Amino acid sequence: MTNKKRIIRNLHPLEILTDEQIELIHKGTLEVLQNTGVRFENKKALKLFKENDCEVDMEKKLVKFPPDLVEESLKKCPSSFHIKGRSEQEVTFGGNTSCFLPFPGKDTIDLETWEPRTPTRKEFYEAVKIMDSLDTVHYTGSYVPYFGFKNTPAVMHMLEGDAANFRNSTLPLHCNYGNDCEIFAIDMAKALGAINLGVVGISPPLTFQEDSCTSAFRNLEAGFPLYIQSGATYGSTAPVTIAGATITNNAELMAGVVLAQLVKPGAGILVSDFGFIQNMRTGYPLFGRIESSLHQIMFNQIWRRYKIPAGNHSTGVSNSKRIDYQCGYEKAIACLLSLLSGANEIGFHGCVYGELSFHPAQLILDDDVVGMISRLIEGVEVSNETLAIDIINEVGPIPGTYLTEEHTRKWWKKAQFIPKSSDNLTYPEWMEANKKDCIEYAKERISEIIKTYKPESLSDKEENAIENILEEARKYYKKTGKITEKEWASYEKDLKSSDYPYA
Amino acid sequence: MSEVIDKLKKAILIYDRKTASQMAVKAIEECIDPGEILNAMTETIREIGNGFERGELFLPDLVGAASAMSEAIAIVETNLEKSGKKVDKIGTVVLGTVKGDIHDIGKTMVKAFLVAENFRVIDLGVDVAAEKFIESIQKYKAEILALSALLTTTVAEQRKIIEILKEKGIKNKVKVIIGGAATNQEFADEIGADGYEATAPRAPGLCKRLLTKE
Repeated sequence: MTNKKRIIRNLHPLEILTDEQIELIHKGTLEVLQNTGVRFENKKALKLFKENDCEVDMEKKLVKFPPDLVEESLKKCPSSFHIKGRSEQEVTFGGNTSCFLPFPGKDTIDLETWEPRTPTRKEFYEAVKIMDSLDTVHYTGSYVPYFGFKNTPAVMHMLEGDAANFRNSTLPLHCNYGNDCEIFAIDMAKALGAINLGVVGISPPLTFQEDSCTSAFRNLEAGFPLYIQSGATYGSTAPVTIAGATITNNAELMAGVVLAQLVKPGAGILVSDFGFIQNMRTGYPLFGRIESSLHQIMFNQIWRRYKIPAGNHSTGVSNSKRIDYQCGYEKAIACLLSLLSGANEIGFHGCVYGELSFHPAQLILDDDVVGMISRLIEGVEVSNETLAIDIINEVGPIPGTYLTEEHTRKWWKKAQFIPKSSDNLTYPEWMEANKKDCIEYAKERISEIIKTYKPESLSDKEENAIENILEEARKYYKKTGKITEKEWASYEKDLKSSDYPYA
Repeated sequence: MSEVIDKLKKAILIYDRKTASQMAVKAIEECIDPGEILNAMTETIREIGNGFERGELFLPDLVGAASAMSEAIAIVETNLEKSGKKVDKIGTVVLGTVKGDIHDIGKTMVKAFLVAENFRVIDLGVDVAAEKFIESIQKYKAEILALSALLTTTVAEQRKIIEILKEKGIKNKVKVIIGGAATNQEFADEIGADGYEATAPRAPGLCKRLLTKE
């Protein structure tokens, strides 16, 4: 499998901050890092910071950062780097390119009742296959497309999911962490010759949990770049103002950058933004709102100044429970703004309601959204040939037509983006086609892909390696009591079924 | 109404924690009946609660007022208990975020709504070990144990705590309620929790229903 087509922005990015405003945010961030500091619940990290001139309160687990160290660490990050799947497929983060990762959901949804439910193993593997087939999905990751599947113990969700992604796609992966899962995830990637993007999550405000620091150490030691994500709710875990939320968000990410650059100078880092306003009635985050985009536009502009690749993850979620008009406008507007403002990486396809639901039909529809906006940011080629002055002079007024021109045959597919699941019919055609809408077309496309698309399979040696690592993990979690007897009973039945892992 | 009680009520209404605590201390010093001080505070938070119900006030108002009131209430209750009198509450709730999870906000919102509805709330904080929950429900004779977990990897801890309660033979002595983004009614039923709600404003209603059933 060769690399997917890169999305290139040929337009000047949308920027909303003046240089003075960027400077105020930058200075404010350094001030918070120096005066308030960031909490790290990990002794190894605290020790490392202490050895490198940070003011560390071991009891409070609080680290205060000298501004020079922060500035130096930002400069050590490469402006672009790549990860790699199990075959030749690579993804490069940085510059004027953007790449896409599906945004996961905990559950799948029923397209008749719109209610969520846990997906089956088969549904998980099929969704991975569909992701692999789409031009606009560049990489995948842990808990993608779903958090897990039926009959699988919670502690095995990530690793079973990673295995499914390796088995049914050649896409590179970002790999999550927790309960030591990253040890097995790193082994899996190494066995297949892949380079993962190791995930490090931040718990706002200004806190790194033990597990996320451990993930940073383990992934960096394995030679993998990091994906550091801060996801705050404005008004509860970050200041309610977009500017204030930018300060805490950036301070958290910079603290992560310093840790990574102290462990491994020059390590590749993708910083990711995942922030939301809050429903001030219920306390729940509100997904798909324009304020997230406003924050992301600023975020992209600031991190472009630091020359560090920036990812947008608020882009992929809607507040709608159905695949409907609200879901469409919330996701499409967010995607348009992320791409226009130069996000290098975007979590987008497939998710419906805020990290809780995903459906392959949405995945297919989002492929068209990304395709359409990619066409926009690709811009317009202005050359003698595209200006077509000779042709215009030749065709002249009516009865002249461009339809018969060689120029039209040559250029129309480059000039137009052709969506695969939209309704492009006239009324008579639409009536004859049983008044199908885009969701119906998406469902047809799902069936077609499942029937005809064949992901590149693993060799027997690779398959054995994956299965052995999964088996090791199962033993480890059984031994440590993280897989209960009850969970094991249904899991074991699944493992022994003739369909395992998924035919 | 005495001037100090008036100031205490105003402090809660403008979320002024410091003044609320100072006025509580002053009210005790002025020998105002602790019952009267508590009633004044309950009345005030109810005003805020009613404003929230009517859609005129929002989460920051309720959490701000409950936070100002919580500190003042602790001062008055300690004094009341010293004098051997009982504090009149709907019920006692032991609340915390489970071990491995340091997410605080959802739990804090639940606390605010419960305080506003006159529950006694023992907030154990975040990253709380199972043993600490068990100890606390016994120590405070709690009717309700409220367990928060945000992560899919930490919801297992909610199951574990219920299992321990069963093993110790005290599951029937306390109603366990769960919440958090990674939980739902199906999961609550599966692990044997007595109640689940999706949002913080619904927590007092759930607790009241469970106490009535008892």
